[in-house]
Amino acid sequence: MGLIYALNGLYFAAFLFLTSLGLSIILGVMGILNLAHGSLYAIGGFVAAYFIGMMTGSPAVLMLVTAAAAAMVLAGAVGLVMETTLLKPMYKRPLEYQLLITFGILMLIEDLIKLVFGGESRYASAPFDAMGSIEITGHTYPVYFLFVMGITALAGLFIWWLMAKTKLGIMLRAIEMDRDMAQAMGIPMRRLTVVAFVLGAALAGLGGALVVPTTPAVLGMGMDVLIMAFIVVVIGGLGSLKGTLVGSLLVGLTRSFTVAFYAELEMPLLFMIAVLILVVKPEGLFGQK
Amino acid sequence: MAQKTNRRQFLKMAGAAGLGAGAVSVMGTKALAAKKSIPKTPIKVAAISFLSGPAAGPFGIPGDNAYKMMADVYNKQGGILGRKIDLISLDEAGGAKTQVELARKLILEDKVDVILGYISSGDCKAVLPLSDELGGLMLAYDCGTHVLMEGKKSPYKTPKFQLGFRTSAHLGQDNIALALAIKKYMPDVKKIAGINQDYAWGRDSWHIFELAIKKLLPQVEIVKTLWPKIFTTDYTAHISALQGSGAQIIHSSLWGGDAVTFIKQAKAAGLFKQAKMAMSRGEPYPQELGAEFPEGQFLCCAGAHYFLYPAWDKWPLNKWFVSEFKKRYGKYPTYPSYHAYQAITAYKTAVEKASSLVGGWPTMEQTAKAMGNLSFETPSGYCVINKDHNAREDCLVGISKMTKDYPFPILDPQRLEVFPSFQVNAPAGLTTEEWIAGWKS
Repeated sequence: MGLIYALNGLYFAAFLFLTSLGLSIILGVMGILNLAHGSLYAIGGFVAAYFIGMMTGSPAVLMLVTAAAAAMVLAGAVGLVMETTLLKPMYKRPLEYQLLITFGILMLIEDLIKLVFGGESRYASAPFDAMGSIEITGHTYPVYFLFVMGITALAGLFIWWLMAKTKLGIMLRAIEMDRDMAQAMGIPMRRLTVVAFVLGAALAGLGGALVVPTTPAVLGMGMDVLIMAFIVVVIGGLGSLKGTLVGSLLVGLTRSFTVAFYAELEMPLLFMIAVLILVVKPEGLFGQK
Repeated sequence: MAQKTNRRQFLKMAGAAGLGAGAVSVMGTKALAAKKSIPKTPIKVAAISFLSGPAAGPFGIPGDNAYKMMADVYNKQGGILGRKIDLISLDEAGGAKTQVELARKLILEDKVDVILGYISSGDCKAVLPLSDELGGLMLAYDCGTHVLMEGKKSPYKTPKFQLGFRTSAHLGQDNIALALAIKKYMPDVKKIAGINQDYAWGRDSWHIFELAIKKLLPQVEIVKTLWPKIFTTDYTAHISALQGSGAQIIHSSLWGGDAVTFIKQAKAAGLFKQAKMAMSRGEPYPQELGAEFPEGQFLCCAGAHYFLYPAWDKWPLNKWFVSEFKKRYGKYPTYPSYHAYQAITAYKTAVEKASSLVGGWPTMEQTAKAMGNLSFETPSGYCVINKDHNAREDCLVGISKMTKDYPFPILDPQRLEVFPSFQVNAPAGLTTEEWIAGWKS
């Protein structure tokens, strides 16, 4: 069973990586703790569920690609509107204003989802069912989980390439390292801030899109994810791709093995790790001081 | 000529006079009752269920639909004592604090005649004490915690609330019935595990099941107890842990999206090849999941609430209820719909019973008094509301089986187990735990 426990941990880590990466980029580049990040994830979930429902009978991969693309575009678009209208005036205000406005946006988006999609759960498990299961060391394992791990690896590689190899990424990293210096060097802060926020929102949307084939889209689905994403960001460090990856792996694998052997400690252990990191290394394992 | 009255004639006359006087007295009372006016205004009935969020689809909306259907049906029949039912459907979302505020408003400002409500045990526990505090009649219709009407130790005082009732049985019966069904079909089972949500509902459900199964099958070893958070989206770790435990039966009170997610992921991971589920409120999920729902699982019906039981030829009320519900909403009713029927019908029956005794439109207290010892027909058989203000019902447990007649597994007609209410419900005044402790092994 050890391999299966490890695969479960990797799947959960993949899911966490996708959702916390956007949060980490926004926090790193913009310095904003976006409490509405979970709502962007929920938008992704509902939009994907809608598209999957519309495409019943189509090949699983086509359904998923369409649903994920639609979810990323819509979550990104909502992120764009959010940033340019509600967040922009808050940048020069104290942190508590940003927290209040993003919390307000969270509530607003929740109501908007209810208005658009209704209050009922939305099921979209067709791709999960269609992909079936395979045998791994004598144990049955759903193919969809392997698919999510693959997509996450691709998304991670893309973000790494973007941040490490492109001018855009270098400028974003410069902002993360020293905002004042970046501004003094003539980096277009405003434009890049919008880009970072939209990118983070789209990643949240992708996370939501990939989860709905395994679980219904429900109102409030973004809250739990937000908490887990915070734990990952606290452990890994703000704005660090490597930190988000290591944080996700640590949380995913710890959870999987804890449930198998000491189930009662599932959540307490994760919180204890986060608290320990905050005390010993407040900037996170790979964050900058 | 005056006739002398003998003793026999005197007794006849006296008897006749007595009967006459009695008849006049009864007629007088009835006449008096008839004179007591019944208002013409509609009855304000607040029906509170989850209309949004994860509990809306499987519970709240089927419950609310049954309220709407029955209010419409009763109104077409003339309402309750000629008064139309003005049904106010409200959302249970928002948590206990929100529900307490809503109940206060409904009783004090809107002055509703009765509140029929609540799926969440937490909401029931928070709101029901307001019935006596604010003077509002409340019928809890679906929440399952056994501690709602029970005291901490036996014997406890009944009723706990003068104006608060529960018109369905509690989780004790579901879990005891499951244990009894397992004893019948798998008497040699050795290893049992549990997966229940980490809050009062899940903890209480497992607690009662564990007590009952250990009493009924002492050889059973509990090999794993898992407590995932409510609204967990990834059960892979839990499923692997259950597979690793070697459990033959897995008890679960998971509900709504959690139940659906768990079953789907567990099926894909092959869990049902080695273990059977025993779901304390599993009845809605075959219809929810369709052919994907695995066969051979123990499913309890939160009472004897099932669209195919009681058999339609033996109990036409179930046939009517199922047909009417399906016609209106396109789905077969699930247990929350039956619970909603019981709540609105309990209120109607109690008002009519009280009115027949006191005349006119009864006061809230008179209605409550009539409801304190009430028996009425439901689509599932008879429902009895006891002196502890808690309903008692028979409990049905079945085993899922795919047939050619429906696009989802039904409960195998050859293996339907109906446990009478006295076998699965503690008597009033005795806590469920102490009652189970008193069973002979």
